[in-house]
Amino acid sequence: MNPKEYKYTQEHEWICPEPGDKGKVGLTDYAQTQLGDLVFLDLPDPSTQVEQFKKMGEVESVKAVSDLFAPVSGKVLEINQGAIDAPGLVNQDPYGEGWLVRLELSQPSELDALMNSDKYDELVAKLCEESSEQGGGS
Amino acid sequence: MEPLKKTPLNKVHHDLKARMIDFAGWELPVWYTSILEEHRAVRCGAGMFDVSDMGRVWLTGRGAGAFLDRVLTRPVQRLEIGFSKLCLLCLEDGGILDDLWVYRLGTDQYLIVWNAANIKQKLNWLLRWSGSGPDTIIDDKSSATVMLAIQGPTVHQLENLQGVSHLPRFGHTQAKIGGLSVLVARTGYTGEDGFEIITATANASPLWGLFMEQGTKPCGLGARDSLRLEAGMMLCGQDMDIGTNPFEAGLGWLVDLEKGDFVGKSALLEIKRQGIRRKLIGFQMKGREIARSGYSIFHSGQEVGKVTSGGYAPTLSVNIGLGYVPVELAAIGTDIEIIIRNKPVAAHVVDKRFYKKGA
Repeated sequence: MNPKEYKYTQEHEWICPEPGDKGKVGLTDYAQTQLGDLVFLDLPDPSTQVEQFKKMGEVESVKAVSDLFAPVSGKVLEINQGAIDAPGLVNQDPYGEGWLVRLELSQPSELDALMNSDKYDELVAKLCEESSEQGGGS
Repeated sequence: MEPLKKTPLNKVHHDLKARMIDFAGWELPVWYTSILEEHRAVRCGAGMFDVSDMGRVWLTGRGAGAFLDRVLTRPVQRLEIGFSKLCLLCLEDGGILDDLWVYRLGTDQYLIVWNAANIKQKLNWLLRWSGSGPDTIIDDKSSATVMLAIQGPTVHQLENLQGVSHLPRFGHTQAKIGGLSVLVARTGYTGEDGFEIITATANASPLWGLFMEQGTKPCGLGARDSLRLEAGMMLCGQDMDIGTNPFEAGLGWLVDLEKGDFVGKSALLEIKRQGIRRKLIGFQMKGREIARSGYSIFHSGQEVGKVTSGGYAPTLSVNIGLGYVPVELAAIGTDIEIIIRNKPVAAHVVDKRFYKKGA
């Protein structure tokens, strides 16, 4: 399940707010299952300024390239070297060891524009329903 | 858009919770659990693929062999009964319409297995050259049959395949598996030992079930693509097409210019005489970035070609690709650059058989 204390974007990133207006960012479990095995992460360099909902990097699975968007505006404090070295961590533990970047939020109020876990669970449930209808193994 | 075609195993794939995608108009699994796991299963154990999207056409009659010799690039009538070989179907100008396997089933009985793309055009092409004579009967039985590929170093240990483990490479035979009548060939598209099995549609699910019971791992299109790329096998429509001739694609070994006249022969003789200007190469990225189909290849600040296939090679843990460059840049070791996200990224030309079994 998606952690209660995290906030979520429509593009399936999460942010885990930390004291002092900081936060870790990653991809949701739904995102990693959709992408499949990740093999390359192109993350912003530390101290880069990122802007809410704007592209800040790319993630690549065996099959696909996908944009990574910033859930909030701020400065990149740190990137997860462990995940860069072994992108499979994002598949194995998307909410823990597989985090991607740590940000210093420039406008913490932007968090209010994100979904809480209940809303995000609903979104995922809806997307899964749609795809099973399309698939329709009739 | 036409609705996607479904193979007789479509429900089986959905029941296994496979992720399905559109491939050449077919709804097929891209993976069941993970492309990397499925790739590994075929390199280290045994995996199976539903390859029913490929077309299966029987050619029979007194004129069948002569007809195939007229449209294919290698001599077919010299093929022994019980064997198969890879051939090209070329246009008059030498462009590659498809690569296909020809099986000789009997004196006047052949089977061709070709790619899923452009089946209608290819059938029309055959009909155009065969005319309407009674000597060659062309019968597309694709929808009445299914095809499974069972691939990997341990396939010969599977109980289901004990009866055919004697088959030589490229050999084929009629056999029974679990009481089901099948045509089995020792062929594949993964760079591993393996078998391809053709049987009637009604046998599809029972046959799949027999292999599931023996622990054969279902594998999707993702692994099918990464396995063939690693083994340096080309995909028609992507690595070569009607705008590509066999010599620049590195497929000159599939063209026998000594045999009698065939469609494309005079053009191919002329191309060979003039020499080629570009060539398909294999390349390896120096770093972690992944080249994808359609990316530009640069040398000395100039665009010199395009990537046709590219990706991560799971067995080798490097990033590889295929693409066309001018012949003078095709030597192994040549430094090139691939443009990835608007930046040139270092790569170099390598042998395009990236992975060799047992190496």
